[in-house]
Amino acid sequence: MPYEWIATLMFSTMLLMMITGQRVFGAIGFVAVVAAISLWGTGGSDMGFSSIMKLMKWTPLLTLPMFVFMGYVMSESRLAEDLYKMFHVWFGPLPGGLAVGTILLMVMISVMNGLSVAGMAIGATIALPELARRGYDKQLISGVIQAGSSLGILIPPSVVMVLFSLIARAPVNQLWLAGIMPGLLMASMFMIYVVFRAWLNPALAPRMTAEERAEITWAERLLLLRAGLLPVLIFAAMMVPFIKGWASLTEASVIGAVTSVMAAVIKRRFSWKVFETATRSTLAITVMFMLIIMAAMSFGAVFDGLGAGRAIEDFFLRDLGLSAWQVLVLMQLSFLVMGMFLDDTAMLVIVAPIYVGLARQLGFDLVWYGILYTITCQIAYLTPPFGYNLFLMRAMAPSDYTLPVIYRSALPFVGIMLVTLIVVGLFPQIALWLPNMVLGL
Amino acid sequence: MPQWTKSYVRWVEALNYRVGRFAMYLLFIIMGILLWSSITKFIRVPSLWTLEMAQFTLVAYYLLGAPYTFQLGTNVRMDLLYSRLRPRTQALWDAFTVFALIFYLGVMLYGAVGSTVYSFETGERNPTAWRPVLWPIKTVICLSFVLMILQSFVHLLRDIAILRGEEL
Repeated sequence: MPYEWIATLMFSTMLLMMITGQRVFGAIGFVAVVAAISLWGTGGSDMGFSSIMKLMKWTPLLTLPMFVFMGYVMSESRLAEDLYKMFHVWFGPLPGGLAVGTILLMVMISVMNGLSVAGMAIGATIALPELARRGYDKQLISGVIQAGSSLGILIPPSVVMVLFSLIARAPVNQLWLAGIMPGLLMASMFMIYVVFRAWLNPALAPRMTAEERAEITWAERLLLLRAGLLPVLIFAAMMVPFIKGWASLTEASVIGAVTSVMAAVIKRRFSWKVFETATRSTLAITVMFMLIIMAAMSFGAVFDGLGAGRAIEDFFLRDLGLSAWQVLVLMQLSFLVMGMFLDDTAMLVIVAPIYVGLARQLGFDLVWYGILYTITCQIAYLTPPFGYNLFLMRAMAPSDYTLPVIYRSALPFVGIMLVTLIVVGLFPQIALWLPNMVLGL
Repeated sequence: MPQWTKSYVRWVEALNYRVGRFAMYLLFIIMGILLWSSITKFIRVPSLWTLEMAQFTLVAYYLLGAPYTFQLGTNVRMDLLYSRLRPRTQALWDAFTVFALIFYLGVMLYGAVGSTVYSFETGERNPTAWRPVLWPIKTVICLSFVLMILQSFVHLLRDIAILRGEEL
């Protein structure tokens, strides 16, 4: 059987296995080991195991449980509540003000945490009830929280970029810096969209009444600004040692986790229940991620052994005779389609090595490509039928947020993300000027 | 269901629960190790062992904790269709597809055992400055896969029980 056929067979079997509802890592791993054994006999049986040893040596993975833990400490201890109140008071008068405040809250969470899960958890427990109480439209609420929390992977620190940097061998600090401007650009477009929608149809987002606004004194407003110190402090505690070279990336993430625990203790919000839930959930999420990455690495190794990368390169460059840019567009399009079905870690380990190699060969800047890749992951979180944030939203929100509501709510934001993707694609400088300036490249 | 299935389920669940709860706290060991590492860097006598020790602990953390997360049901499934099925139909599907999972875990265990035996025989060490022996972590990996396979059979037995209209 020609190799392209085997590769296609592997891919379709994997999708089929996933649809049966077996655990994702089991589905991917099964196809990987069966393929390895049937291709290379018993020698192929070591492939799965060697992925554990490989993963062990990927030091930056140590940041994963730290960021997860930090996110859970912040959401369980409701540390972000004051922050939310601050945005609420300051942006209340704007049309859709509370939704804008939610997006800003998500930006702040993103600055402290490198995953989308943290934002989802905080959004669903703190922002959602308040937005619902004020009579905001369900679709708007669900869309804002999902889209906002996905910024967690674009704005530094970012775990997705850590994983990308491992595969692309691009420096993490450049990637992180490069994510800042596109992240802010995307966040402002979200906000403009929300304000515009609320202005067109005030019923979607009832404004704060004049009496309510009059009740808030300026002293109160200024006092609430203190809440904004928290993200600044945590960010500084992590980033200063890292950038100054006193601590490695992993050590910085531990410092971040410890700082957030300390903040919760100081605010007297740290209880045994918070501690237990955070620790247990961290194990659950970390295991889920690691097992998927492990299985996907075996799958990727078989794929690699088949020479699938070569085949795809040849196909794009020689058989189709495409120009570099056409290939780039095709790569992103296929990533978007795969993102509808695959989970982003699986995508990263299975497909990214092939595409990153291709991007390098075509002479594209890998830092810039990493940003495009990260935005594509964000879109993958939100595109039906399979998307992390869609499912998390369903799991965390009240039961009247049905899947159709959640699906529809994500679409306008997916549109905005696509626009950002195209803009950053056309103007690489948006991503690259900051790292170039800071690092003096 | 026969009596032995009941005791099997009870024993394995209890064992994996304890192991998992223990593994859960390894997170703080990792934190401690890495904090120590920054402290030693700060006083300019960086230790050699911290990074590798943290890596080993991370492996033990997520692998020993894995069977417990099977119990918690936190490993994602693509549940768009699955979640709409009736519990009995879900159990029927799972009773088949769990063998795919067990097969995968079995191959992993096979690879792990082979590599562990090799480590024991040759006294394999990590090729780094600290040169730690590798058999302890590899033994832990083998043990974790055994526990995961035991736990997978618990799920199989549960599904069979559901199909027979019983509770386990």
